[in-house]
Amino acid sequence: MNKVISTDQVIAEIPNGATVAIGGSSLSRKPMALVRALARSDRRDLRLIVNVGGPEVDLLIGTGKVAEVIFAFVGFEVMGLAPHFRRARQDGALKFQEWTEYTVMAGLDAAIKRVPFLPTHSTLGTDVLRHSAAFTTIQDPFHGETLVAVPALRPDVALLHVNLADPQGNGVVLGDGHMDALCAKAARKTFLSAEQILLPERLQTYGRDVHIFRTMVTGVVEAPWGAHFTGCAPEYRADLQHVQEYLGAARDGAGWHEYLERYVYVNHRDYVRALGGERTLGERLRV
Amino acid sequence: MTEYSVDEQIITCMARELRGEYLVSSVTAFGSLAAHLAKSTHAPDLAVLSTPESGMDAVPLPTLSLGQFLTENQRAIPLTMEDIFDAIFTDRFRIWINPAQIDQHGNVNISVIGAWDRPKVALVGSRGIPEDTSHLSQGLYYLTQHTPRTVVEHVDFISGAGYNPERRKTLDGHGAPTCLVTNLGVFGWDPESGRMFARSLHRGVTPDTVREATGFAIELGSRIPTTEPPTAEETAIIHAADPLEVRKLELLSGKEAAEKFAAIYERERQALHAAWPRRRQ
Repeated sequence: MNKVISTDQVIAEIPNGATVAIGGSSLSRKPMALVRALARSDRRDLRLIVNVGGPEVDLLIGTGKVAEVIFAFVGFEVMGLAPHFRRARQDGALKFQEWTEYTVMAGLDAAIKRVPFLPTHSTLGTDVLRHSAAFTTIQDPFHGETLVAVPALRPDVALLHVNLADPQGNGVVLGDGHMDALCAKAARKTFLSAEQILLPERLQTYGRDVHIFRTMVTGVVEAPWGAHFTGCAPEYRADLQHVQEYLGAARDGAGWHEYLERYVYVNHRDYVRALGGERTLGERLRV
Repeated sequence: MTEYSVDEQIITCMARELRGEYLVSSVTAFGSLAAHLAKSTHAPDLAVLSTPESGMDAVPLPTLSLGQFLTENQRAIPLTMEDIFDAIFTDRFRIWINPAQIDQHGNVNISVIGAWDRPKVALVGSRGIPEDTSHLSQGLYYLTQHTPRTVVEHVDFISGAGYNPERRKTLDGHGAPTCLVTNLGVFGWDPESGRMFARSLHRGVTPDTVREATGFAIELGSRIPTTEPPTAEETAIIHAADPLEVRKLELLSGKEAAEKFAAIYERERQALHAAWPRRRQ
């Protein structure tokens, strides 16, 4: 089946109030072209699931799309804190659940395995267990030990960016897989953006680098530079100049409006053009 | 006597705590340099990770894998997130964590300043720290600024479990804190009382300095040893691994940090173009 669709068709599959898992980690391989499309849509009340989140969470909060965030981390590493996330946390404007890196994975894994929870020792003795995540403790039925029960996380939609895909929805990841395969397996519908779409017989030659299987994928969008301004190893690295531009704009009202006009309220082709085009980007960021 | 700066003293102390054949995270410049220094001297079997493209035994580039997203993909053995958490659960992983706050019992916080529900300052979230503090037999922390705001009586939010009552009930010793290195000294915890104590103070640091810089009444014995300063070999290894001084980013802020950052970014770009493997076609 040919699953190649447009970005707009992906957004049409995401209803208001949907639970959306977003792949990638930190400033690496986030599906930013799809996230920007969501940010310029009229969707609202989304519930986001991220592991090490940053630009995707901040942009969607900054454009008013979000009702709740489940996260292990949201920030821009040594570049700084996430301005809209931080403001929303401090104003108590949205719902937040602070989980941890492993427990987000365990929650998705529980959904995949169709069990209500998975047990772990993680978060024992912390305020994540007592306070910030909807976890509870249980007794090991065999030996009586105390464990944490991590409830299943079932996304309606997963959004992922991959290096290569074929039209049937197989996806190649050449850098770190992060938790993308878990998102794809756990979600009711998974959509990929890809740097490039190849014929299936060419994609098959990538062997174990095929991390996302077509049986889990609903639609594929071709989006070169689709992870920008995060990186997409080994093609291009994160655009830290643009991170600085984003953070500067997100910290001030007028600057934010200009940023959105220039980079978000435009289609992906015009986004790349606004950055000086593929060639300029390549000179700065390709290795 | 060898000339050295405080960051070199801290990194050297961190390196000396690492031994054996463990995966060592390099999530910060200090942590990365400590792992590299240990591997280059007394702990050759360490398996140093690059981040966030998780690779084991990363080949050090001229600028190393410093600043976790300055470089993204090196010739390294690829690991998955599952591999890394399995290494944590089986205690084959070590990480130096740089918390926003640490308290007398070794609880650490990177989540919020103030109440979690309505924080005064929302930081970043507990990330993978709760996994570390329930599984690893070494709990390793460092601070570049030892002040009453960072070394506190009680953390505002427990991202990582120290010697708290819940730990005693459910975790026993798994994941307990073992070492804190700061700009003033090296500290440990007594597993019985769960209280922090000074193992050594860096050269020129007095007990009174530590008392004033600590947010609780820290017990300081009458004869605390002086920390062994970095040797000429150790400082040379740090300088060679970090010629751009990426590590200084953790000591700077504001305009100074931004300028340093811009300079490193450009140099890394040039270095990467020369050193990275060709892309697969």
